[in-house]
Amino acid sequence: MTNEAQVCIDDLAVGFELPVVVRNASRVQLFLYSAATWNPHRIHYDADYARFEGHQDVIVHGPLQGAWLSQYLTDWAGPLGRLVNLSWQNRASALPEQDYEFHGWITAINDDVVSLEVREQTVDGVVVMPGEAKVQLPLKNRQRA
Amino acid sequence: MPEETSLIPPESLALIGQVESESPAVEITAIGAQRYAHAVGDLNPLYFDESFAKGCGYRTTIAPPTYVQYALVRTRPLSDVRDDGLFKGNSALRLRVQRTMFGGEEWDFVEPVHIGDRIRAVSRLSGLDEKQGSKGPFVRITRETTYTNQFDHVVARARQIGIAR
Repeated sequence: MTNEAQVCIDDLAVGFELPVVVRNASRVQLFLYSAATWNPHRIHYDADYARFEGHQDVIVHGPLQGAWLSQYLTDWAGPLGRLVNLSWQNRASALPEQDYEFHGWITAINDDVVSLEVREQTVDGVVVMPGEAKVQLPLKNRQRA
Repeated sequence: MPEETSLIPPESLALIGQVESESPAVEITAIGAQRYAHAVGDLNPLYFDESFAKGCGYRTTIAPPTYVQYALVRTRPLSDVRDDGLFKGNSALRLRVQRTMFGGEEWDFVEPVHIGDRIRAVSRLSGLDEKQGSKGPFVRITRETTYTNQFDHVVARARQIGIAR
């Protein structure tokens, strides 16, 4: 297939910044994510219990934010790109009904693989989840037919 | 660090490298992968549109990269749920801590996971590191899970980090 929007390795350089994406989880999304992953942990749906554990409110699952980070990269990489490695650290809790920004920039390019630093942060710039990734991308004239 | 102040009893250190759990092969289903994708809010056509996925070189639709760990979660009875909502642990690991929090993950996505693949997994305790943080000492627990498909190809390795204090 060909895709005008497909990002290609030839178009990129170290320092390139990915477009910022904003995510915001509703309480319903937290419930559905708990259900889809068979996760009954009370801190994700019981606000009184979450406060008892010292949180401000129910909190967004760390792995859901990791999945958002994965999606941030696979959406950018396009259907002919491939996420090869991804790591992240959950440093601070994220709350529902709050905006979180995803940022990323290229730190190295080796053959057809780009290395990136990525992070999720509050709109005030507090980093809640830093990470690193490697993404394999097609060459412009070698996209699969 | 003197042993009496360590959060890690010596018998727990001996568990490093040992297999904690093995999951028999589970079929990756479209309904499971799409349920996860919708819960994340990830509507990538590679997960939903078979002809699109084939056009991109895949055998059929694929699963979101981090879905594989949830495809293999085995359901347990409600009587196994603790007051905090977590399932009672099966691990032999014992630490002198109050609580373990999710600290992050590290993934190697070696091959895509296709719908219809049969994936099995082996999990090992791979590290226990006592560290000094701003809120006092904590233990960084690392568990590594290797996911293998029906062709005996490793499709993914995941290292899950827990912070226990």
